[in-house]
Amino acid sequence: MNKTTEKDKPNLPWQFFSSVRLTISLLIILAIASISGTVIPQQGQGAIEFARKLSPEMFRFLSFLDLFDMYHSLWFRILLGCLTFNIIICSVDRFPAAWKRFRAIPRPDRDKPFEDLPPLQAFLVKGKLKESADKVEQLFRSRYKKIQKKETADRYFFYGQKGRFSHFGVYLVHLSVVLILIGGLAGSFFGFEAYVNIVEGEEIDTVTLRKKMSPLKLDFGVRLDNFTVQFYENGAPKEYRSVLSFIVDGKTVEKKNVLVNHPVQFRGVTFYQSTYGKVPGKKVRLKIHRPASPLEITSLDVETRKSVPLPGKEGQFSVVKVSTNLMGMMGPAVLISVRPEQGDETSFWVFRDQEKILKRFPDLMSRNTKLNSSAFKPYTFFLDGLDAVFYTGLQVNRDPGVSIVWTGFFLIIAGFFVAFFSSHRKIWVRLIKSNGELDLSLAGTSNKNPVGLKRELEHLTENLKDLF
Amino acid sequence: MLNSTILSYITFVYFGVFFLYLLMMLFAREILGRAATYVLIAGFAGHTVAITIRWVESYMLGIGHAPFSNLYESLIFFAWTIVLLYLIVEWRTKNRTMGAFVSPLAFLAMAYASFSPNINSSIQPLIPALKSNWLISHVITCFFGYAAFGLSFGLSLMYLIKRLDREGRGNIFLRLIPNPVILDELNYQMVVIGFLMLTLGIITGSVWAHSAWGSYWSWDPKETWSLITWLIYASVLHSRLVRGWKGKKIAVLCFVGFACVMFTYFGVNYLAGLHSYAKS
Repeated sequence: MNKTTEKDKPNLPWQFFSSVRLTISLLIILAIASISGTVIPQQGQGAIEFARKLSPEMFRFLSFLDLFDMYHSLWFRILLGCLTFNIIICSVDRFPAAWKRFRAIPRPDRDKPFEDLPPLQAFLVKGKLKESADKVEQLFRSRYKKIQKKETADRYFFYGQKGRFSHFGVYLVHLSVVLILIGGLAGSFFGFEAYVNIVEGEEIDTVTLRKKMSPLKLDFGVRLDNFTVQFYENGAPKEYRSVLSFIVDGKTVEKKNVLVNHPVQFRGVTFYQSTYGKVPGKKVRLKIHRPASPLEITSLDVETRKSVPLPGKEGQFSVVKVSTNLMGMMGPAVLISVRPEQGDETSFWVFRDQEKILKRFPDLMSRNTKLNSSAFKPYTFFLDGLDAVFYTGLQVNRDPGVSIVWTGFFLIIAGFFVAFFSSHRKIWVRLIKSNGELDLSLAGTSNKNPVGLKRELEHLTENLKDLF
Repeated sequence: MLNSTILSYITFVYFGVFFLYLLMMLFAREILGRAATYVLIAGFAGHTVAITIRWVESYMLGIGHAPFSNLYESLIFFAWTIVLLYLIVEWRTKNRTMGAFVSPLAFLAMAYASFSPNINSSIQPLIPALKSNWLISHVITCFFGYAAFGLSFGLSLMYLIKRLDREGRGNIFLRLIPNPVILDELNYQMVVIGFLMLTLGIITGSVWAHSAWGSYWSWDPKETWSLITWLIYASVLHSRLVRGWKGKKIAVLCFVGFACVMFTYFGVNYLAGLHSYAKS
């Protein structure tokens, strides 16, 4: 009596978290909540543009709910936490009963399974009781486990079962879900997500963390030796390839190719091909026109930020800034600064696509000396081209949770097969001597898939009939 | 290309099949049902040949890859999985009434692929992100999942229609639909298959994303919507297995689930995300 009253005592939090109604509600709440994150752009440029279109009240409301980064918000994590807790409590609550069903071995001489038996599953056979029973037992043992046998003067009873592990399928699935969530959590606590751009020929040892936008120093260096991009005939990209060298204490330890779908791991840090682009290189090709000099036009390659004497020796000039596309529409341009021996420093932009720009803005140069390539008399500068080099954009991650998540993935599939496609089948066979003949009948129960059980009993009936 | 020409004819074959199944339901003639099955098998064979030809043609163009790389190819494969799964169920249950509810799905997918002006049916080379062994397993598992949920949708619809049947009503169409208990059980089996396949699809996608994008889960809209779908069907299974819900409630939940499947497949294309190659 004491025991039952203790059990009946309502433990409200336990009852709350062990209810499947809570599970279903949480699943549906999570589903609905997740929708908002796919409609509202999350983080990044898209989110900023979207936020600009909103009224201030709406913006404040949405950011109060963390809807611009909802999957990492506290409330979403609490929901996931509740689901995890719910899964664990539900499983703990129900596991003892499943364990009991797993362990239980019913008596072989039960009568209940034989009630309302389909006529096909009971038939008469000829033979001696003992011999027949041995034949039945042999067949039975080859198919089922935990065989129980009982014999009396005129009857034999057998019990056998299979698939008793089917009771654990659901717990395996639940365990896997918890593992996957734990793996995700471990990744976000002990791992990082960062990115880095490396220009061809250069070496880096610091990457930028995506979340905090702060630098993170690696304990090794990475150099981009070479970057190639290939295109198909139709212009679609075919392959991006970065050749990376990993450098420890000034020595190249490893050299590897990183391609999309082929990341490279070095000392627990994984590098993924993510983007690429071009940046101006060190050299700029210029043409300088001076009407009175011995050679009217001088072509020369100039290194940026390096002083070069003017062809007519009036002073020095240097390329101060380089842009691959000035103001996003003017094309390649360089800022040139001229320091004459007498007079003030003059600086002005020189465009590669000078003629095109003049067609669009005919009076641009006369209005603004900053944009006039003839601003330093009597010279006119022309930009022939920029040296461009590739840079590769790499995603740089460390995620110690991945192996836990992978284990979860593997177990959840195994769990599904156990939970959905196996069943605990218990089979009873009874042999009764009556009027010189033997009355053989068989019965069974199953925790799921009644159709499968019926088929198995039919099959077993056939095999038993064949014995005689 | 030969493959897309054959496939556009298959569209009409599937429409014919739908029409035959419908006539069978209206006039209760066994012969019509049998004809529908044979035409469907023939259509399915042609469909399979066309997919194979497309695969071979891609190799002849020097850009060989499995035909699972864009919206056109996925629709064609979606229709193929629906028909295959339906034929298996028809063969196992020896019942053809489901054909009238499922063949339109295959027909619509094929018609959308073949006749929508926004869908490009030419074979395109694989972009770097899709060059992976995971492509085949990811697409196959996902679409078998979608197809099983498509069948579950058809069965739920049949369940709700069957409820209109009354003793002595004498409507042949309603009478031919199997009894609700069988529909409910079959629906459950389809949800189990779909759920297993969807889980495998999410897992293969996730493992793939880990090597392609550097993260096994990035809350990309397609990922998120597949998770939403997963959550809905998980609640279907729990409400049925633990709470013992049956019949109408489950049928309605399966409608919601299939709506999520459709949004995961098509709706997501209107949201920005990483799965952009599935758009056209």
